[in-house]
Amino acid sequence: MEDIILKKNEELKKSRVRTFNKRKILKKSTPYTYILPIGILLLSFYVIPIIMSIYFSFTKYNIMTPAKFVGFKNYLNLAQDKMFMASLKNTIIYTVGVVPLQTSIALLMAVWITKREKSRLNELVKGAMFVPVISSMILIGIIWRIFLNGELSPLNMIFTYVGLNTPNWIGDTKLALPTLMGISIWKNVGYFMVIYISALMDIPKSYYESARVDGANKLHEFFYITVPLLKPTTIMVVFLGCIWSLQTFDLVYTLTGGGPGVSTMTMVLHIYNLVFKQFRAGYAMAVANVLFLLIAIISIFQRKLLQRDKSIY
Amino acid sequence: MKRLFAMALILVMTVSVLAGCGSTSTEKSEEATKELTVWLPPIGENDKPVWEPILKEFEEKNNVKINLEIIPWEGYPEKYATAIAAGEGPDVGYMYAEMFPQFIKMGAVEDLTNYLTEKDMENYIYIDDCKMLGGIYGLAIEAANPAVLYYNKDILAELGEEPPKTWEDFRRIAKKATKDTDGDGKIDQWGFSQGWGANFFGDLNWNWYGFLWQAGGELYNDDLKTVRFNDEAGLETAQFLYDLKFKDKVIPDNAMAQNNKEMLQTTFGPGKSAFTIWLSSAAHEILDKSFPDLNYGFITSLENKDMGTFASVDQLTLMSATEDKELSFKLMQHMLSADSMTKFHKYHPRAPISKDEPYQGDPQLKEMIENDKGIYRPLVVAPHGVEVYDYLWKQLQRMMVGEVEPKEALDEAAKYANDLLAEDQ
Repeated sequence: MEDIILKKNEELKKSRVRTFNKRKILKKSTPYTYILPIGILLLSFYVIPIIMSIYFSFTKYNIMTPAKFVGFKNYLNLAQDKMFMASLKNTIIYTVGVVPLQTSIALLMAVWITKREKSRLNELVKGAMFVPVISSMILIGIIWRIFLNGELSPLNMIFTYVGLNTPNWIGDTKLALPTLMGISIWKNVGYFMVIYISALMDIPKSYYESARVDGANKLHEFFYITVPLLKPTTIMVVFLGCIWSLQTFDLVYTLTGGGPGVSTMTMVLHIYNLVFKQFRAGYAMAVANVLFLLIAIISIFQRKLLQRDKSIY
Repeated sequence: MKRLFAMALILVMTVSVLAGCGSTSTEKSEEATKELTVWLPPIGENDKPVWEPILKEFEEKNNVKINLEIIPWEGYPEKYATAIAAGEGPDVGYMYAEMFPQFIKMGAVEDLTNYLTEKDMENYIYIDDCKMLGGIYGLAIEAANPAVLYYNKDILAELGEEPPKTWEDFRRIAKKATKDTDGDGKIDQWGFSQGWGANFFGDLNWNWYGFLWQAGGELYNDDLKTVRFNDEAGLETAQFLYDLKFKDKVIPDNAMAQNNKEMLQTTFGPGKSAFTIWLSSAAHEILDKSFPDLNYGFITSLENKDMGTFASVDQLTLMSATEDKELSFKLMQHMLSADSMTKFHKYHPRAPISKDEPYQGDPQLKEMIENDKGIYRPLVVAPHGVEVYDYLWKQLQRMMVGEVEPKEALDEAAKYANDLLAEDQ
């Protein structure tokens, strides 16, 4: 009888341990279960494609027949590829030109709007600034082509009316890229302005009131309170702008196709042409990996800056 | 309970993600066994209702279901490439000259030589233009729509000139026609409204090939292993166009921002230029409709050392991946039969593609279509056509914007082309 009781106690003990282990495993695995769906998505649509792109960049691959390993040939060819060099140069000029301007305009517009009392004009400006953001880039490309192209286009008619020569907006190799940059700024400013407005609303009004008591004027307020406290937002806006600019494609595709000549060729458009027009997918992936590297460097840089930033309010 | 619910939700989401990544092969296998897919670009303005009764006849006779898809010209070859790579391409397709080499090389289109009878070879008017890279990989469905040189009769009459015959005539008249008509110090009547701003190399068709052939030049050497568009004839052509722009100044300033169709609509149509160059079908489809008061005429080709102008020969293709090649070829024959094409051309008037089909095109063009065959011609299908023409177009754009001299532009394009071709040898 005693033996039976002992045996039962032993079994009960074991079962408790098993239940405890099960609970422990379940508890530990729960967070992983929660991130499983997004994990699968990230793995399928980000990690695996990046690894595949690195692999294919070392091959001659036309997307329809099996890839042939060619080592570093694609990367070595990049230096001699005038189209790639032009696209790299244009992409950098585009980014360097667009980002500071769109960030400054977005900040100034946001400050102007938040400082004003709520009015119809205020709402109209906000709405008007945001319309390009939600419009399709393809549609914008088509509309701007009509708007800029030809003697009878609306913009050129205004130029003619005020007695100015009508610039050859997208037909002049020197003017085509700046024109695209201008359109891009016009489209993006509304989005970044909204981000700035929400950040500005978080700055306590008491800071400005104290500064005013100390004799600060509007410029002092802007440079010594607004700008420093918006630093994390500005870093985010700048780097988001950089990534968008480095990935510019649809506006160029619809408006100029990279021309005239190669004056507006961007890296993503070059990649698109290589894959879908020329079927040189292996080589295109080498170009894509250079772009990936550029974006990665910028993202790491942004992370470092944000980590270093200690501004709190 | 909450945790159980959350876990169930996660499971559902995960399954959805995986299902989204999966294929739909099971759905397909349950459908009808005999099914053919046809991909066509928009030839006319609303092709589907025109093709549907034609295809219905075939469906009823052969107990087969046909899915017709009209694929927009924008991104047309890209759609084929991605679909074929994914095993989702059509059974019967439609391709133009530049597209063929890559798809032939990949084995995506079928050589039709063994399918065609002697009667077919006799009947299809453009069969010789379909012979390419050692086979016949398609049958012409859209042909005889050459690029022509349109001229404004009123402007020429005012200048006391007849329609030009040679390059010299053309240049002289274009120079005389370029003038400030309202005395405001700005040119408002141009000699030649030629567009160089297209973002696609398709405008080489009217801006380059015809002039090159007229100068006695060619794009590729006979063995298709090297190009020759930078030889003496090529250079003469490029210099001629360069001089029209920079020496004679007869091409509008906004030429680099507009394509040829836009030039026809914004400059030649409103009577602001003596010449323009574009598809002959534009006479009926654009000029007669949008500019009924325009008094215009056209010539097929100018003459220099030779004559020549571009006319595409676009073709129906039998795709290699089709499961029933015999049935798909039968469908191609049905679509190209005199009966079917007569019905199609009734809505979209064009020249016939077979000898047993009556002419239903623009009456103004009938004489040219019948007499000038040989003057208008398609491109020779050659390896790396897309890359070569795209690069050539960009170099010629650089030349026409004044960035480089003609020789530099052509040599650069030729070097790029020859390097590409050398990789295959």
